[in-house]
Amino acid sequence: MKGSRCLHQLKSLRLLSHAGRRLPPAAAAAGDNGALFRLHSSSLLGGSQCPQREVLRHFHSSPARTKSQPARFVQEEDKTRDKSLVAHDDLFEQVAKETKTKATFNKVIDVYTKRDIRRRGHVEFIYAALKKMPEFGVEKDLTVYNKLLDVFPKEVFVPQNFIQRMFNHYPRQQECGVQLLEQMESYGIMPNTETKVLLVQIFGEKTHPMRKYQRIMYWFPKFMHANPFPIPKQLPEDPVDLARFSLTRMANDWDAKVTVYQLPCTDITDSGAEVTLPHIVGIQSPSQMEALAKHNPCRPVFVEGPFPLWMRKTCVYYYVLRADPAPPEEKIEEPYDPERCFMYPLQLDLDLDRDLGDDESFDVEDLDDGPVFAMCMTSQGDQATLNQWISGLQQSNPILGQIPTLFRLGAGPRELQGVGDTDSASGTWFSSHAHKEEADPGEDAEAVVEEEPRRSQGVKQ
Amino acid sequence: MNRLIVSRTFRIGERLLGCHARHAGQEELRLQQRRSIKTHCRHLAYAKDLFLGQVNKAEVFPYPEIGNDEVEEIKQLVAPVEKFFSDDVDSAKIDREATIPLETLQGLKDLGLFGIMIPEEYGGLGLSHTIYARLNEIIALDGSIAVTLAAHQAIGLKGILIAGNEAQKKKYLPKLASGEHIAAFCLTEPGSGSDAASIQTRATLSEDGKHYLINGSKIWISNGGMADIMTVFARTEVEVDGVKKDKISAFIVERAFGGIASGKPEDKLGIRGSNTCELSFDNVPVPVENVIGEIGGGFKIAMNILNSGRFSMGSSCAGMIKKLIELTSEYAATRKQFNKSLSEFGMIQEKFAMMALNAFVMESMAYLTAGMMDRPGVPDCSLEAAMVKVFSSEGGWICVSEALQVLGGLGYTKNYPFERFVRDCRILPIFEGTNEILRMYIALTGMQYAGKILTGKIKEMKKGNIGLAIGMVGKKLRTSLGASVDLGLTGKDGVVHPSLETIVDEQLVLKRVADVLIHMYAMTAVLSRASRSISIGLRNHDHEVLLANTFCNDAFFKNNYWMVQLQKHSPENNDANIKKIAKQVLENRAYICSHPLERTY
Repeated sequence: MKGSRCLHQLKSLRLLSHAGRRLPPAAAAAGDNGALFRLHSSSLLGGSQCPQREVLRHFHSSPARTKSQPARFVQEEDKTRDKSLVAHDDLFEQVAKETKTKATFNKVIDVYTKRDIRRRGHVEFIYAALKKMPEFGVEKDLTVYNKLLDVFPKEVFVPQNFIQRMFNHYPRQQECGVQLLEQMESYGIMPNTETKVLLVQIFGEKTHPMRKYQRIMYWFPKFMHANPFPIPKQLPEDPVDLARFSLTRMANDWDAKVTVYQLPCTDITDSGAEVTLPHIVGIQSPSQMEALAKHNPCRPVFVEGPFPLWMRKTCVYYYVLRADPAPPEEKIEEPYDPERCFMYPLQLDLDLDRDLGDDESFDVEDLDDGPVFAMCMTSQGDQATLNQWISGLQQSNPILGQIPTLFRLGAGPRELQGVGDTDSASGTWFSSHAHKEEADPGEDAEAVVEEEPRRSQGVKQ
Repeated sequence: MNRLIVSRTFRIGERLLGCHARHAGQEELRLQQRRSIKTHCRHLAYAKDLFLGQVNKAEVFPYPEIGNDEVEEIKQLVAPVEKFFSDDVDSAKIDREATIPLETLQGLKDLGLFGIMIPEEYGGLGLSHTIYARLNEIIALDGSIAVTLAAHQAIGLKGILIAGNEAQKKKYLPKLASGEHIAAFCLTEPGSGSDAASIQTRATLSEDGKHYLINGSKIWISNGGMADIMTVFARTEVEVDGVKKDKISAFIVERAFGGIASGKPEDKLGIRGSNTCELSFDNVPVPVENVIGEIGGGFKIAMNILNSGRFSMGSSCAGMIKKLIELTSEYAATRKQFNKSLSEFGMIQEKFAMMALNAFVMESMAYLTAGMMDRPGVPDCSLEAAMVKVFSSEGGWICVSEALQVLGGLGYTKNYPFERFVRDCRILPIFEGTNEILRMYIALTGMQYAGKILTGKIKEMKKGNIGLAIGMVGKKLRTSLGASVDLGLTGKDGVVHPSLETIVDEQLVLKRVADVLIHMYAMTAVLSRASRSISIGLRNHDHEVLLANTFCNDAFFKNNYWMVQLQKHSPENNDANIKKIAKQVLENRAYICSHPLERTY
C-alpha cells in the first residue's frame, strides 16, 4: 500500500520535473549547465568539441526518444565511450581532490546528472561510482545508492510490449542496475521503498533489477536476526567496555560476573618515567567458582593465551584459566544416597540385569576438554599483568592460593591491536605456544608451590 | 491397546458397581468378621498394587464404616465444634489482623482440638483418623486455624507420637494435648526444601556427652513464633562401619532450652492468621534423651511424619466446598438477570455440578483412606494419602475460584468471604509437599514397588521356575480376556520396561502416570462409596450414583487421553515441544518472541 502510494507520488513529481526540464530547452539547459560543460569539455573532449556538443543537445529534447539516436553521431559516441571509464574516474578524482566524503560524492553525482540531460554514458558512470564508493566511505549509505540509481533515465528502459518483456530489454542497463543492488547486498544494505519506486520507474515491474530487489527483500529480513548473538554495528570504543562485552559474549552465561581488576591509567613514577597500567577485565560464573573450589590442589591450573577473538573487524585477545581434565581415578561419582530426598526416591532401586544383546547403550567417544575456570582480557599480556588477574581471582577463589599456577603464554598481543598485522603476529604466537607446551610442568609446579600463597611473582617457564 | 485397557477398567468398575449394589451387604459382613479376627500387619496395599495391574478389591470394597458408638461420638463432638466455628470464630478479623485471638485459641484448646489424635492416656481425645478427618471438615472453614492446628498435631507433635519413647511421650504429650504447649515442625531451611543433603543445621555432642548443641536456622516454620516444643531436624555425625558420616537426626527442642530466636512473622497471601516465621538456633543445648528414635534415624521419621499428615486435606477441602456451595447457591437463586435467576443459566449450573462432584470425590477418597489407616496393624497408606492431597488441593483451588466466579465482581470484594477462601486455598498445592513433588512420589514409589516384584519374577523364570512361567502366561491370557487391569506400565510379558532406569528424569511421563493412578484411586473410592450407599439405602443415594457415574465417565476419558499420550510417538504427546520451549525461554531468562508490532524493513 504504502509503497504504491509513494510510487505514485514520486512518479508525478518526476513527471513535473521532466516537463520543467523539457520546456525551456535552450535557455534553461544551456544556462544551468554551462559551467558544468566547461568542466566537462576541458576534461573529456577538449575545447574544440564543445560547440558541437551544445548543438547536439538540442536534438534530444525528449528522453523518450534517446534510443533513436541519429546515426551520424555514433562515431563521437564511441570515442567517448572508450574513454568513459577512465573519464568518470577522473571526474571523481577531480571533484574530490582534497576530501573524499559523502558530500563530495553526492556532488559528483550532481555534476554528472546536471551535465547532460541525456545522461550519456550513465552505465559507465554508475559502474565507476560503485567502484569508488568505498573510497568515499559511502559504501554503506542507502541514500547514496538511491541517488546513484536516480542517475538512470526514467521510463526509457521500461518494456512497452510483450516482446520486449519477453526478451532482455536493455540488457546493459539492467545488468548495471543488478550490479548496484548486488553491491548493496554485499554490504548488507537493505533497499527501501524509494529504491523500489526508482527501480519501477527505471526498469519497470518484473525486470531483472526488480527481481533482484524482490529477492533481497525476501532474504534480508529473514536473515536479519539469524545470529542469536548479534554484535552491535558500533563496538564500544573503550577497551574496558569492549572487553566486558566480548567476555560476556563468550561466556554466554547469565550468572557470570565481570570484574574489572584494573582500569587503564597512566602514572608517572618518581624517577619521571611514564608507566602505563594495562586494563584487566575478567569474567567468572558461580559454577566455574564451584568447579575451581573442587579442583584437586595437587594438580596445576594453567593460564593460557592469548587467543584471538574477532568482533566484526576488531580482533581482541583473551586468556583463560584452565586445567587438564581430571584423570579417571579422580572422578568419583557421588554414590546414590537413598536418604537424600524426603519426598520421593531419587533413583529406582531395581535389580535390572540384562540378557545378552540387551545392551542398548551407544558407543560414544567422549573427549573431555578440561574445565575452564575463568577468562580475562587485558591490553598487556605479560606474566606480571596476568599474575595480577590471578591474585584478583584469588580473593573470591581462595583455593587458588594452594593450586600451582603455570603460565603458558604465547607472544603477547601488544603489537597485534591493529587489524593489518594480525597474520604475522598470530603466526609467531602459534609457534611459540607450541614450543612452550613441551616444557615439563612438574618442575614448575614445585617451584610455584614454594612461592605460594602470596603470588607476588609468578613462574615463567 | 491402551484404549482397550482403560475401557476394560471402566467396565470392571461398572460391573463392580452393579454387583456390589446387590452383594455388598453379605460381603461386607464377611469382611468385617474376617477383619475382627485378623491382627497381624496387613501387607496388602491398594494403590501400590494398581501399578502391578492388580485391583485388591478386598481393600477398598466395601467402603470403610465406623461403629455405631463412634457415630455417636462424632455427633457429640461435631456439634460443639460447629457451633464454636460459626459463633466464636471471626475469620475476617483473623485474616485482617493476621493473628488468631487468644480467646479463640483458648476455645479451641477447651474443645480438645489440640490433641485430637493423641491417645487418651496422654490426655488427648484419642480419636481415629476417620474422626480426625471429620473434625477437619469443620476446622477447615478457617484456613488460619486449620493450618495452626495441622502444624501442631499433624506434623509438629507427630514425631513424638510415632517415634518417641515412653518417657518422651509422658513428658510432652499431655501438655501438647491440652494446648498448653504448641508444637512446630522444623525441617525446611533456606537452602533445603526436600533435599536432605543440603540441611545445614548441625547438632554436635557436647564434651560431657549429655547434650547436643544445635546451630542453624529454619525457615517457614508454621507456629514458629508461638511454639514451645519443636521437632527439629539436624545433621549429626554418625559412625557407620567405621566411617564417619553425616546423618539427619530428629530432636525434641523446648523453647525453654534457650538460644532460640524467632524472626518476624511472614506476611502471607493467605492463611494470614497462622504464624509462619524463621527460627534460628544458636547453640541450643538439647539433652541426649530428647533425640527422637535413634541418632541418625531422623530421615525415616521425617518421611513418616510427612507421609502421614496428608490424608486429612481431602476432608478439609470437601468441608470448605460444601460451605461454599451453601453460600453461593443462595446468591445464584436470588440474583436475577433478564427475569431469570442465575441458577437457571447453564454455565452457572455447571459450576455447581463441578463443586458437588469435587466435594463428593474428595470426601470419598479422604474417608476411604482414613478408614484404611484406621485398620489394625500398620497399613502403608502413604501413597493413597498423597493421592488424596494432590487431588483435593487442586480440586479445591478450582472450586473456590469458580465459587467466586459465580458472584462475579461481588466475590472479588472483601465484603464477601470468597476472596479470602481463594487466598487461603492457594497454599494447599504448596505445603505438605508440593503437588509436583508428590506426583513424583506417587509415580516413583509405585514403580519401585511394581518393578521389584516384576524383576523378582523374571529372575525366577530365568532360573527355570516353570510353574511361575506358566502362571505368568495364564495371567497374560486372563488379562487379554479382560479379567484384570493392565495399566501398560509393564512391557512385553510383564517385563519391566527397559527405560525404567532413566524414568526418574522423565518428569512429564511420571506426572501422567501419577495422574492416571490418582484418578484410578478416585474412581475406586467413588464407586466403593456409592455402592455402599445403595446397598444400605442412605438418603439421596441416587444422587451419589449420579455423581459417581459422572465422575467416572469424566475420569475415564481423561485417563484414556493420558494413556494415549504415554504411548511412544503419539501425536497427542507434546512433551518434546514443551521441553524445547521451556529450554529456549529459560536459556534467555525471558519471553523471547519479537513484539508483534516490530518490523524488519
